[in-house]
Amino acid sequence: MSNADTLTSPARRRGGGVGDLLLSELALLFRRRRTWALLGALALIPVLLAVAVRLSGSGGGPSFVGDIAGNGLFTGFAAITVAVPLFLPLTVGVVAGDTIAGEASLGTLRYLLITPAGRIRLLLVKFAVAAAFCLAAALTVVVAGLLIGLALFPVGPVTLLSGTEIPAIDAVGRALLIAVHVAISLVGLTAIGVFISTLTDVPVGAMAATVVLSITAQILGSLSQLSALHPYLFSAHWFGFGDLLRDPISWASFGDNVVLQLGYAVVFGSLAMGRFVTRDILS
Amino acid sequence: MTSSGLAVETRGLTKRFGRHEAVSSLDLSVPTGSVFGFLGPNGSGKTTTIRMLLALAAPSAGTITVLGSEMPKRSASVLPRVGALVEGPGFYPFLSGAANLTRFDAAEPGTSSRTRSARVAEALARVGLSAAAAKKVGSYSLGMKQRLGIAVALLSPRDLIVLDEPTNGLDPQGTREVRSLIRGLNADGTTVLVSSHLLAEIEQLCTHAAVMRAGRLVAQGGLDELRGATAAIEIVTPDLDLAREVLARFGLDATADETSTGDSTPRLDAPLPDGVLPEDLVVELVAADVRVRGVAVRRPSLEDRFVELTGEGFDVER
Amino acid sequence: MNPSVKRWAPFAAVPIIAVAAAIAIPMTTNAAQDLPEKTPQQLLEFVADSDVTAFSGEFTQTSDLGLPDLSSLGSGSTTGADGDGFMSALVELATTSNDARIYADAEQGARLQVLDQLDERDVIATADDGLWIYDSGEKTALHVTHEGSSDASTPPADVPTPSSVAEKLLDSVDDTTAVAVGSNGTVAGRDVYELVLTPRDETTLVGDVTISVDGETGMPLGIAVTAEGASSPAFSVAYTSVDYSTPDSSLFAFTPPAGVEVTEKAIPADAHSDDAAPDDSTTPGDAAPEAPDVTTTGAGWGTIVELAAGEASASLEGLDAITTPVDGGRVLSSSLVNVLITDDGRVFAGAVSVDALESAAR
Repeated sequence: MSNADTLTSPARRRGGGVGDLLLSELALLFRRRRTWALLGALALIPVLLAVAVRLSGSGGGPSFVGDIAGNGLFTGFAAITVAVPLFLPLTVGVVAGDTIAGEASLGTLRYLLITPAGRIRLLLVKFAVAAAFCLAAALTVVVAGLLIGLALFPVGPVTLLSGTEIPAIDAVGRALLIAVHVAISLVGLTAIGVFISTLTDVPVGAMAATVVLSITAQILGSLSQLSALHPYLFSAHWFGFGDLLRDPISWASFGDNVVLQLGYAVVFGSLAMGRFVTRDILS
Repeated sequence: MTSSGLAVETRGLTKRFGRHEAVSSLDLSVPTGSVFGFLGPNGSGKTTTIRMLLALAAPSAGTITVLGSEMPKRSASVLPRVGALVEGPGFYPFLSGAANLTRFDAAEPGTSSRTRSARVAEALARVGLSAAAAKKVGSYSLGMKQRLGIAVALLSPRDLIVLDEPTNGLDPQGTREVRSLIRGLNADGTTVLVSSHLLAEIEQLCTHAAVMRAGRLVAQGGLDELRGATAAIEIVTPDLDLAREVLARFGLDATADETSTGDSTPRLDAPLPDGVLPEDLVVELVAADVRVRGVAVRRPSLEDRFVELTGEGFDVER
Repeated sequence: MNPSVKRWAPFAAVPIIAVAAAIAIPMTTNAAQDLPEKTPQQLLEFVADSDVTAFSGEFTQTSDLGLPDLSSLGSGSTTGADGDGFMSALVELATTSNDARIYADAEQGARLQVLDQLDERDVIATADDGLWIYDSGEKTALHVTHEGSSDASTPPADVPTPSSVAEKLLDSVDDTTAVAVGSNGTVAGRDVYELVLTPRDETTLVGDVTISVDGETGMPLGIAVTAEGASSPAFSVAYTSVDYSTPDSSLFAFTPPAGVEVTEKAIPADAHSDDAAPDDSTTPGDAAPEAPDVTTTGAGWGTIVELAAGEASASLEGLDAITTPVDGGRVLSSSLVNVLITDDGRVFAGAVSVDALESAAR
């Protein structure tokens, strides 16, 4: 080895930060047309809701939908309620299931590891970016809902579940808080998706399995015979954002949710690490 | 560098997939500073070996030392000094060539983001892709992707470069360019390990080579060592018996070529030992009134050796 | 041995520890605490002398009565008809778990919030403004006021909470009940005494009732009813958090929001509010169901409630799927309560065996 190499090699090793890889990963996700298609589809939910309410006049429907005509801000609440059980898990399943399996199927995984990105480092960054997508997805639904509501309907003070009225600007703050709660709610599913993604080289399989699990969890959650299991399902607090619309805010389910999702992230995160660190990359 | 002077050394390296043994007790020695040809038919275990050298797959048994450190244990400190192209290029088709390189450079810990674009531009220039830097990789030809793959290996200065079938999909011009690239890298002191099932490209390039067959190493060493020193002389003449007598005086055991067809002139073949000069033989033959129509000296090519060792023809791309 | 097993081990350990912690932590928090020892009599007096006047807290009510799925019954009753409302409230209480918050202050009043998923039912009782019952899902509000001057102390007591229910229960402790002190525990993060009430009456299905009493304030923080022979409670109400500071006064001021259908109901000053306020066994929001014609037989734990024919029969149609036929009627059986519907439409219910109900029906 030449002298120059002897000198540069330790310096090269000293870096090892996560920052550059994280930025690169974020750029990769948000440069993909597929990511924007997913977010666009999510933004379409409040738009369709609002247009449907606008065309049909007011009327009943699931939670909050009936309130849209009277106050556009409810579009955000109604849209997230509609998106939580299926559409959000669907998009999160696509992104989380793609994390490792997608790189494997493109053949880029081996080059990242030779670089060397480091297996644990890569997995942590992938998980962080998938979690960032959860936030982006939830914010997309809520913000698109607020904007289309502003455009099509009158806006005024919002009545909370407790019957208290709060100013419109506070309601926007609560809507953003709901987006945060929903994003956190999806972290457990993200961890499961990343784990499944380390098991296979077929991204579509990992995506489908993740989405199927999210639906399974909700079915289990609706069976009263399994009530002992319910608090431990990752979907346990998916609709807990209602507690943020009370007066005063009930932080209990928000806190429980953080602990629960953290638990899922730790359990499935370490399973994913165990799998990924010991796995032969043959793709 | 390494005390043993070896850039890559494996001892008893074995990889099993279930009951199938893809690589069996491989003892590979790649000297530092060499251009090492890693030969073998498709499916002989070359790529599996390379994956283990690069810590992509864990060995079932045996040890690996790369650049003096044990793999895969020390991969974090070894791999930054290694550039590689493994089993074809892998890229994000929706990103440009430059963006792909930027991504891989950013994934490497400790690379400076300030000089990243300069490194990317230089690597692209070295493989002749500067003009296509902004194009999406999805629109690249196979050859362009192959070059981009080599560019990834060249992003940072490396002590060892591993190229698995680097000329796949390249036209003759591209193949020549890759060859001169490898020579240039080697001239700078980089050890290059090139795997291929195409002999011709290795033979012109390598200082050392190893041949694998069905997961086992059947030969390895310097190129001359591998070829074997024994040349052969072929004499085309109608006077077979006379010629054989003359050759016998030099201690050559000549045999008539039985396969020659009726209308062609008969031929004698004989191994040519060291110290016997073909020109001396010709003088004697002519002096003995042997009518010599043609004389040829043939050294066995690596190709002959390869077929002999692997017991099968290799995939020549026609 | 196998290198990949060795490398897996640290990563496999984390989930195992996490799952073990999830199981172990709730158990360890129930470990015995250091509280001065009290006899059952001292503990009863401790509760009676409790002088908590202002507090807030969140509590959870769960039921595990071993009933078949009653959701089909509950869902059909959102029409708001009185009989259906009564029935759906019972079904809900018996089958689901509810979270609720309570804000109470002897000076200002009390507010109960039943925290449904994406909905809320509120009961606000104040001295100045009477009683408000608000349902965010139905968008209805009921306002009950007393004509003339009202009794300031009455309204807060009308809101069922773990504390008020337990206090009523303890008030009625008599010879039919054996009182003992159980092992100490933790409820809502506070050290509690456990008061165990065991019926002396052999006919009842109730095994015991455990009341958790805050070791510092003497306020009951939880009730658990366990059926005879069962190991886990069939019904429980317990605080998950409690705070003894005075709640914000804005919580007791209720103005019905726009778009809510408000029903005003005035009660003459001389009548007592027992009929109008929601019964302990119903949840608020079911616009004050009129209690059907009820007679009771027996006493104490073995009391049997009889509903005259016709009152509730309309809402009992379709019960065939969840009841079992017996001689002279059908029985809805659970671990804690049995209900007998006779062929002539009378309904008998009680925390007693089916045999006892049948003999009462004869």
